[in-house]
Amino acid sequence: MFRWLRWIWPRSLAGRTATVLLLGLVVVQVAGLTIHALDRVDLQRLQQARDISQRAFTLWRTLMQTQPDRRPAMLDEFELPPGLRAALDDEPAARPNYPPAPPPLMRLFRVEAVMSGPPRMRPREYRVSGGSRPGVMHLSLRFADGKWLNLRVELPPPRLWHSDTFLISFLLMTVAAAGLTLWAVRRMMRPVRDLAAAADRLGRDVNAPPMPEGGPAEVATAAHAFNTMAERIRRYVADRTQMLAAIGHDLKTPITRLKLRAEFLDDDEQRRKMLADLDEMEAMIVSTLAFARDDSAAEPSVPVDLAALCRTVLDEASDAATPEIAELITYAGPEHLTVSARPVALKRALANLVGNAVAYGGAAQLTLTPPAARLLRIAVADDGPGVPEGELENVFQPFRRLETSRNRETGGTGLGLPIARNIFRAHGGDVVLRNRREGGLEALATLPV
Amino acid sequence: MLRPMDSTAPHILVVDDDREIRDLLGKFLEKQSFRVTSARDAREARKLWPLGRYHLVVLDLMMPGESGLDLARWLRSQSEVPIVMLTAMGEETDRIVGLELGADDYVAKPFNPRELLARIRAVLRRATADSSTDPGREPPAKVLRFAGWVLEPTRRRLLNPEGAEVPLTGGEYELLMVLVERPNRVLTRDMLMDLLRGRQAGPFDRAIDVAVSRLRRKLEDDGRNPQVIKTVRGGGYVLSATVERG
Repeated sequence: MFRWLRWIWPRSLAGRTATVLLLGLVVVQVAGLTIHALDRVDLQRLQQARDISQRAFTLWRTLMQTQPDRRPAMLDEFELPPGLRAALDDEPAARPNYPPAPPPLMRLFRVEAVMSGPPRMRPREYRVSGGSRPGVMHLSLRFADGKWLNLRVELPPPRLWHSDTFLISFLLMTVAAAGLTLWAVRRMMRPVRDLAAAADRLGRDVNAPPMPEGGPAEVATAAHAFNTMAERIRRYVADRTQMLAAIGHDLKTPITRLKLRAEFLDDDEQRRKMLADLDEMEAMIVSTLAFARDDSAAEPSVPVDLAALCRTVLDEASDAATPEIAELITYAGPEHLTVSARPVALKRALANLVGNAVAYGGAAQLTLTPPAARLLRIAVADDGPGVPEGELENVFQPFRRLETSRNRETGGTGLGLPIARNIFRAHGGDVVLRNRREGGLEALATLPV
Repeated sequence: MLRPMDSTAPHILVVDDDREIRDLLGKFLEKQSFRVTSARDAREARKLWPLGRYHLVVLDLMMPGESGLDLARWLRSQSEVPIVMLTAMGEETDRIVGLELGADDYVAKPFNPRELLARIRAVLRRATADSSTDPGREPPAKVLRFAGWVLEPTRRRLLNPEGAEVPLTGGEYELLMVLVERPNRVLTRDMLMDLLRGRQAGPFDRAIDVAVSRLRRKLEDDGRNPQVIKTVRGGGYVLSATVERG
């Protein structure tokens, strides 16, 4: 029903507040204007009526004092105000069969004053009647010689807008008030926008600087509450990190012992398997710690040859792979490309992408595209089965692993992709996955330069 | 605890605060025919130090009381004994400080015993080789400069002439280190393999030529007409550059 409302109802709080205020302003202005106009019309009518009746009596008195034969000439010379017409006739224009004159008009024109003048000025007889239209009145006055002066009185239509400047100034006032309202509302809503920006910053970086706690009381309270919340989140994250670091650290000693004990096993096969299990455990701890601590933030950015970094990651992957798979680990891109980055973190991120491609896709084709529009691209493609479309984003959730990956016992902690994404995002870039049309999965990473 | 054994076998001092690790490591190294003495902290290590002639110290950096770094500093002031540090993973700064103090190598905990063994053997071999050729062992360099390039052993990184870091694989780093430590000396594949086997865990034999070609690419050294790492007819490589140590 109020569908049209949606078109004018703004989405922002500032817009809505401004709309309500402006609507109020319009209502007040219209009401004021109406009252003013009505007042003005009343006054105008009264003044016009006075004017007409005065002029009419002046005309009567003038004609009375004039010789009867000169009266028509005199009438022609007489200047009549708008709404008043006069004629000299043998018969009265006001006839008894006409409707009676409307009393408000009679009052307005003070018809009875005709008979209140000095006796020699009074007409011999007068007749009043209404006209063909309401608002018209005929007044007929008889001279001593039997002729009639017929007066037709009609109030001119009221002129609501007396002056043009009034309208212009009224418009200017409205526009100024509207502008002031918009400015004030925007200014008052700024803290809300600041709060949103601060929340956004906190989402990206838990150590973002606190909000200034100034301004109006409500704003200061909100900012203080926000800062308290941010502090609690920081403490929570720090506690969690501390706990994970402690667990990781405490696990090192038993794993070291187990690795040493394994060396005293006589069964070579069992020893090899045990050491492999322990290596896997260690890798899980290392990646959990890396994820929890997010050490990429602590590492300084330095100039680094990204092409050499990519090659290093690929070479290490192919050294660890079987010769058949090593053949499918390839690099395409420039020989050298210096960028500013955190080498240890970036190497870990790329190693995770390449490691996934090799483990699940049996290949890793890395393509480094030099910067275009200040953004360089790294694509890592494989020949594997890909990932269901609905899971492409979910696999970036920590500890999220696809059933296929669990079943295939490829190992892994479900942290490789989240860590890679954290690192790319810490560099101002991002990484997404997509299924290739020709088959296989592709990880697309971007880095600003 | 001193174990009288073959007195010609290298004698290793193991310093670690965890009793189990100490005992297991001792047994493991004895199985590999080393003589082993162990200490549970820096204080005990200082007490044991004058009682024997040690060929190498395996030192845990994370110990209660006096830290492993302080003990390493003290050991360095006493002698040139090689030190292999046991560091906790992720504690990069400790590792760098340890290497700068003059530790010869490090293994991150939890380590694979065989890797530690390989490192110990390599360090011992280098120490004997150095002492037989050079009268006083050269202190480890913080930076090595050659042909505009900078190699930082403590951080295990290579900087190109523009100052940008050029990442290397473990194998490439070890190979470059061996070459840079012996500039203008022809090293045959056999010599390289022998020098590298101790440092690099894993199969490296087949990979020397591959590693050299990868290194040349990263050093912007034209493979058909190499200027930095030259191929020697008859099977060998030589780093053809002046190396400045600083």
